[in-house]
Amino acid sequence: MTVEFKDIRKAFADGTIALDRFNLAFDEGEFIVLLGPSGSGKTTACRILAGLEEPSGGSVWVGGRDITNLPPRHRRMSMVFQNYALYGHRSVYDNIAYPLKVRGAERSQIDGRVRETAAMLDISALLDKRPRQLSGGEAQRVAVARALVWQPEICLMDEPLSNLDALLRLQTRTELKRLHFELGTTFVFVTHDQEEAMTLGTRIAVLREGRLVQFDTPREIYRKPATRFVAEFIGRPAMNTIDGVIRDGQFRAGPLSVPAAGRPEGPVVMGARPEELAIADAQGPGAGLFTVDVVEQVEPDTLIFLKNGDTEIVVRALREAEELAPGAQVQVRFPEDGLHFFDPETGERIP
Amino acid sequence: MKEGWRIAAFAVVIAVLVMALAPYIWIVLTSFKTRLDALADTPVWLFTPTLDHYPEVFIGKGYLPLVWNSAIVAVSTTLLSLAVGAPAAYVFARHRFAGQEDLFFFFLTTRMAPPIAIVVPMFLLFTEIGITDHLIAVIIAHTSFTLSLVVWMMRGFFADIPREVDEAAQMDGLSRAGTFLRVLVPMAAPGLAASAILCFILSWNEFLYAFILVAFEGRTLTVGIPGLITPHGTLWGQVAAVAVVATLPIIAFTVLVQRHLVRGLTFGAVKG
Repeated sequence: MTVEFKDIRKAFADGTIALDRFNLAFDEGEFIVLLGPSGSGKTTACRILAGLEEPSGGSVWVGGRDITNLPPRHRRMSMVFQNYALYGHRSVYDNIAYPLKVRGAERSQIDGRVRETAAMLDISALLDKRPRQLSGGEAQRVAVARALVWQPEICLMDEPLSNLDALLRLQTRTELKRLHFELGTTFVFVTHDQEEAMTLGTRIAVLREGRLVQFDTPREIYRKPATRFVAEFIGRPAMNTIDGVIRDGQFRAGPLSVPAAGRPEGPVVMGARPEELAIADAQGPGAGLFTVDVVEQVEPDTLIFLKNGDTEIVVRALREAEELAPGAQVQVRFPEDGLHFFDPETGERIP
Repeated sequence: MKEGWRIAAFAVVIAVLVMALAPYIWIVLTSFKTRLDALADTPVWLFTPTLDHYPEVFIGKGYLPLVWNSAIVAVSTTLLSLAVGAPAAYVFARHRFAGQEDLFFFFLTTRMAPPIAIVVPMFLLFTEIGITDHLIAVIIAHTSFTLSLVVWMMRGFFADIPREVDEAAQMDGLSRAGTFLRVLVPMAAPGLAASAILCFILSWNEFLYAFILVAFEGRTLTVGIPGLITPHGTLWGQVAAVAVVATLPIIAFTVLVQRHLVRGLTFGAVKG
């Protein structure tokens, strides 16, 4: 069973275009993360898959069937909302049981499923409570239980962790990953948090301005970002990008000169992840002189912010850089195999 | 100083209570007074009560069916207003469409014209279709003004329920109509209760429309009162007896659902 967005376009009444020629296809059992900044169309894509939003153009296919005009209740999908959207007038038990009840399950079966799902999410003790008596984390678990209790084919989650505080967000994240592993249900998870995306997704779809920019495994997205945007969006701190030019097999930007053999000449954007860079003892090939601006001790790492003219870079080093003080002059080495190049006009990756 | 404010506040409350309750206590007392006591130049506070007025007017004058008429009108008006008004309010709360705010305001404008200006054309219209002197005429007339109340109150209630709840219900397997009836209506129950009480009170107490649109068998309780003003004088004792009976359902209703009413009024109205 594959899920497929075909040339989806969505224009809202106020004229904003949320999605434009959006194409995406993935398989059953995956944990797909739709990642992008606000306004990238990720939530709209999720809502179109759910049937809560009608696309202005294009079609949605599941298992070889066009479901574009199918109402949400016939799609065999469930959804977890950012604000939980529990039924305030019903008990937790009834909230979880509701989709089974609506879908006409046997009463005996309902009770079993509800208790089983509640146990799985560790909320068995809450079944008699009312939604307003729950904490945010508890409410979110109830919402997840309600979404999973009837064993839908696809479980959609629209920023489900955004309303939780930091520690709880981490715990819930781990739990979702475990649930996905245990149930094998297809998950589609919308987030603007790249760290969530990297930890949860089997594959990540990065969206920007209504288009799919890259769709790949977290590892590939990190290691081979398809565009400068992805490179800067994924990873904290972001990838260093330096506008410059390639001439005589050297990347040059101001006084900086880094070997880039075999690359076509002309303007280019060079990228390097902070952990790929290293503080070097002495001048050498591929190194440049930078002035230390700020040193942040982010245990166990050290983040060193450096400047050279207009060029600003970050180096992530393991603790040894502690003696560096702002104003110090250091050599930063750019290893040739850790460099990325992007087209300065289109932002596309140059292989 | 603080003590002074407390006393002042207390005095204001007492003043309001006296103003609100004195006429009511007066009419309750009058309903048990003989004609002589009721018309005494100096109000009589201590008197030998008589229980004659109640049986006289309700059995003797045949006013008992009027209670029933009032009940039918008020209950029907309430149900009709909710059945039409609640879905309308839901649409106003959830959907965006051209002229929405104008249309919403239009509901309110139906209450701006003085009722007396509307009742005559309404009478002619109802005569034309042959429903004057039937309770249905009063029910329609009352619904014409309670409906706007329901729409205005309930819009706020539905707007307070997150849109995601509707969507969650649809994902859980309900149709749009099912979402409204099985999820939204139960969640807006306090608002519906508050609206229902207001509709009921307005319809039950209404005089003008009922007076013009029905006579004889179809009269409601309020319309029955002028019948007690006779050429030989007003039968104050019986008027008071009818008035007291007319207030009983309202009092009972309000006491029963007081909590809903307070919550409903403060909650829905602010957002409207």
